[in-house]
Amino acid sequence: MKAAEKSLQQSYRLRQLLIHLMPLAALAILLAALCWAVTSKGYRLDIYLNIVFNEAVVLAVVATGAVFIYTLGSFDISLGASTLFSATLGVMTYNATQSLPLMLLVILVTAIGCSLLSSLLASVFHIPVFVTTVAMMSVLSAIAAQIITKNGGALGGISIPSDLLRPLDTPWFKVVILAAFVALSIFIFSFTKVGRRQKFLGGNPVCAQLTGIDLNRYTIIAFVMAGLGVGLGAFLTLIYTPSVTTGTASSIGMNIIVAIVFGGMPISGGPNSKIYSALVGGFSYILLNNTLKILIDGNTGYGVSQIVSAIFFLAVVYVTSINYRTKLLPR
Amino acid sequence: MNTNQLSWKELGRRSGGALMIPCAFAVILLTLCAVNGRAMIANQTSFYNFVVYTAIVMVTTMALSINLNSGRFDFSLGAMAILSSVVSAKITFALLGGGAGSAPCMLLFNVIVGALLGLLSGTLYVVLRIPPIITSLGVTLIFEGITYTITGGRYVMQEVQNASMSGFIGTWVYAFLIIVAVLALTVLIFDHTKFGYDYKALREGQKVAVNTGVREVPNALGCYAICGALMGVVGFLNTARNTNINGGNLNFGSISIMFTAFLPMFIGSYIGRYVNEKLGFLLAALCMSMLNSTFAVFSNELNASTQSIINAVLLVLFLIYLSNEGALRRFLRPVRKNASTEVRA
Repeated sequence: MKAAEKSLQQSYRLRQLLIHLMPLAALAILLAALCWAVTSKGYRLDIYLNIVFNEAVVLAVVATGAVFIYTLGSFDISLGASTLFSATLGVMTYNATQSLPLMLLVILVTAIGCSLLSSLLASVFHIPVFVTTVAMMSVLSAIAAQIITKNGGALGGISIPSDLLRPLDTPWFKVVILAAFVALSIFIFSFTKVGRRQKFLGGNPVCAQLTGIDLNRYTIIAFVMAGLGVGLGAFLTLIYTPSVTTGTASSIGMNIIVAIVFGGMPISGGPNSKIYSALVGGFSYILLNNTLKILIDGNTGYGVSQIVSAIFFLAVVYVTSINYRTKLLPR
Repeated sequence: MNTNQLSWKELGRRSGGALMIPCAFAVILLTLCAVNGRAMIANQTSFYNFVVYTAIVMVTTMALSINLNSGRFDFSLGAMAILSSVVSAKITFALLGGGAGSAPCMLLFNVIVGALLGLLSGTLYVVLRIPPIITSLGVTLIFEGITYTITGGRYVMQEVQNASMSGFIGTWVYAFLIIVAVLALTVLIFDHTKFGYDYKALREGQKVAVNTGVREVPNALGCYAICGALMGVVGFLNTARNTNINGGNLNFGSISIMFTAFLPMFIGSYIGRYVNEKLGFLLAALCMSMLNSTFAVFSNELNASTQSIINAVLLVLFLIYLSNEGALRRFLRPVRKNASTEVRA
């Protein structure tokens, strides 16, 4: 009897381990698939790896900050617009002052300020966070569009001198930025009471607040971390492309949700939230998109690759969410 | 006698509550136009646009609210509207070649294809049993991808630019009939059928409703199909209004259609305290249409970005009021009490 129980426990643990490893396995498979696709088409692998890395590093940085918000069971779709707005003000600042440190400062302050404004509106006026971020998305992208159109045109956009940030456009610099931000996030999330309390608030907000945890305080901290991620993401975007158009970072807001879920984190947040989900999911999603773009040529290929990408996304989420199944339909 | 007096009072309270916001919108916006020497609805065309826009906003708001009120967030509404329009336009053009009857034929196909797409989305949700917001992300990408593949990323124009479609948009009558039909059908389905009662039971208490025998899966599938059909109507109205369909939306480019319905949904829910919620959505859509017409009047002074900002600020201000209504009342109550005490003294 005991042997049977032990065997059941072992198989349960094995299943759990496999589910947890699924996002990492998907990342490894996708990387191998990209390498295979590029070499089989006779393209240069280093160029494609560079493209994937530059796209993924921005998504991973912004998504890592966003994990703090998603852990609370909230979500923010204004992060893409916030990235655009921060980058726009950064470019405008540089063009007015020719000062790189001031540009970086403006980018970070703007990103954190926008995030704080969202959280303050939500916590002070008790507006649902999601609706606040919908409004912020409209406002920020509209203001950025006005600035860009007025100063450079919607298509051409506004830009800083192309050689200004070129010395920083190296994989090592970007890896350092990403690693530093992920390390800071892991430290706060896993080794301080901030992360523990945020997970508690996301898992059971009523119980957490009854034990004396201040929701507003941890919401503000979550939004500050997300703002920091947005600021760094905007800076990395400018390093890669020194011009800002109305389309810059337009898809980041939604891609963050996809990346986080792709990385194995439940959208409802709570105790199963993980920082590395954003990193793994961000790279996986960009790898998948680029692999499909290479494999499916032609104009209509964009549509087909998006369909395949969506099916793959749903399949991964289906497998990784086996643990969270309920009898009732989820909401 | 007393009962009659009470009912009249109640009727007055309800009418006042329901018409308060639309009247406020009308007074403010008409005054704004009059002060600048302009008219909100200057000619026949702007009146037609007013009615069509009211229909678009009302139907989108209803589609958004059906699932959102049940805690199911659906990003795929916009993609559903676009894909149903593209498929319907292609089928209609293949059948009639842009000849007489193209508009009603396309509307019919839009509703059918929209309902099927909604059903597909709902089926994915109930089969995969993953949160609806995530399912809707995947479904949005799939629908956008299919649209892009069919159209090659180009605008669909030839199939929808014909005399029949122009005739539809050349009068207010058809859009008005759509408003009446959608309003009557949604009130009938959600307020006077077993499906509607089950929907409300599940909305208010999912677990209790399921435990008492309400069948959740068929109800959810029905809701998704209705949402799809409604978005099919929206797709048709947008096509008639714009005389083309943008087939190049990828990477969540279609979700902006849904965001236009947030403010009217909250306004409609507020008006729903006094009258039927669906009627509230119509009145809220009227408010949005008045705002849109005013934007059109001041289009030289207010560009699209400024209009977006005004809409977003209105949304936030209205939500600040809604979320703090109780606190505002508590804040005002002592003032009233003090005033009445002073009068008594």
